[in-house]
Amino acid sequence: MQYLTNKTLPLAAAISGIIALSSSAYADSESQSLQSEVQMLRKEVAELRALIKEQSSAQEEVKNLRNEVKATSHAQSEWTNADSTFHLSGYAAAGYTDRKQSGGSAFNVASFNPIFNFLYRDIVLAEAELEVATAADGSTETKLEYGSIDIFLNDYATLVAGKFLSPLGHFRQNAHPAWINKFPSLPPGFGEDQAAPAAEVGLGVRGGYPFGQDMKMKYALYAGNGPELEVDAGEIHGIKSDGFARDVDRRKVLGGRVSLVPLPKFEIGLSGASGGVGLANEPDRSYRAIGTDIGYQWKNLDLRAEYISQKVGDQEASAAPLGGTWKAWYGQAAYRFLPSKWEGVLRYGKYESPRDSQRQKQWAVGVNYLWGPSVMAKLGYEFNRGLAGQEADANRWLLQLAYGF
Amino acid sequence: MLNKSFQFVRVAGSTLVLTIVLASAAHAETTDALQGDSGQSARGVKAWANNCASCHNLRPAKELRDDQWRVVVSHMRVRADLTGQEARDILKFLQENN
Repeated sequence: MQYLTNKTLPLAAAISGIIALSSSAYADSESQSLQSEVQMLRKEVAELRALIKEQSSAQEEVKNLRNEVKATSHAQSEWTNADSTFHLSGYAAAGYTDRKQSGGSAFNVASFNPIFNFLYRDIVLAEAELEVATAADGSTETKLEYGSIDIFLNDYATLVAGKFLSPLGHFRQNAHPAWINKFPSLPPGFGEDQAAPAAEVGLGVRGGYPFGQDMKMKYALYAGNGPELEVDAGEIHGIKSDGFARDVDRRKVLGGRVSLVPLPKFEIGLSGASGGVGLANEPDRSYRAIGTDIGYQWKNLDLRAEYISQKVGDQEASAAPLGGTWKAWYGQAAYRFLPSKWEGVLRYGKYESPRDSQRQKQWAVGVNYLWGPSVMAKLGYEFNRGLAGQEADANRWLLQLAYGF
Repeated sequence: MLNKSFQFVRVAGSTLVLTIVLASAAHAETTDALQGDSGQSARGVKAWANNCASCHNLRPAKELRDDQWRVVVSHMRVRADLTGQEARDILKFLQENN
């Protein structure tokens, strides 16, 4: 036992020492491993924090972008969805007329016609066209071509109140703007105070009604103050139909136009009006207007013809007792030489008036160059026959630039 | 004789207006059905070509913005006696192609 004790004690001590040393070494190594693990974890946490920070800033960016998109979309839809909206359109023209036979060539056209349109939902449209033009003496002429409030009653009827273009015939209400008219001048008898009524102040209803797939009927009916007479030296010189906000003869004019579109791009119309016309402080006299018009487009060819007449009755008690009939008609063919930008125009027109000096027959030939659908240069020549020595008898060259905007 | 003719025109005109106003009520159901259907743009291009070109050169859709076409088409609805449905169809076509 003593032997065992003497032998084992150092051994035990040695083993204990080894164990103690090895456990101490193990503890050191574990501590290092833990420390490195903690450092790694710290690093990972730092990276995660950075990532989270990055993500939240990206989310913020997305949020900001969403707000921007929302604001842009709102701004965009404001234009299209606003109840009340406005648009300015119109046309301008500049021209030169060479009339050597009647002694005067000049740059005689400089006009600007802005058209204002205000729309409230699909309920009402307020529209007005001004004509601002330079007169021969250099002054500026301003005229309200039309100014009306149009109420869309339903799909087939619009109420028009105020000053509107005369619904009689086609040319005056649809084809007179310089960028639409194929020739630099108006057809004979379709100018100011001639055979075709220009405008009316009153109330009307107009619209279209479909019949089947391609057929359609159009109508425009009105009641207005009617035209007035232009009198000089006991004779009626013309019928002023620019639209008056008074009714000197105290008798309204009722009239309208009905047209049928039996095929696409083919339209035939009938117009008529009846009522009173006169001079201030005189008994009224009868007034009648009648007209017909036809239009047809086939490929590049555009055909159009129109007849219009205005008849004024006699009135013995008037300063100009004799009435008369002012009538005019024209036929026109225009052809686009596609794909080029050139267009050719041929027109014949005739104007008959109780006054010999106003009568005119005219052949007109022209060529147009189109930079765009509403931007063009028009060159034309008129062969005119009228009373010898009068302006209506003089041939002339015309050049015009027109722009519809 | 002429007076009688114009009297007839007056009566015929009044009858026409009344007929159109009354007929439009009966037509309303069909119109509602047509208002926003998938064929609207196709009808629009046809109505645009047939109606606009009967008076002037065709103005391409790209000339104006959506909101501008809305006003211009309303203006032309009055000027060219377009029906409400034709105007909506043309507007749809122009707004989709500008």
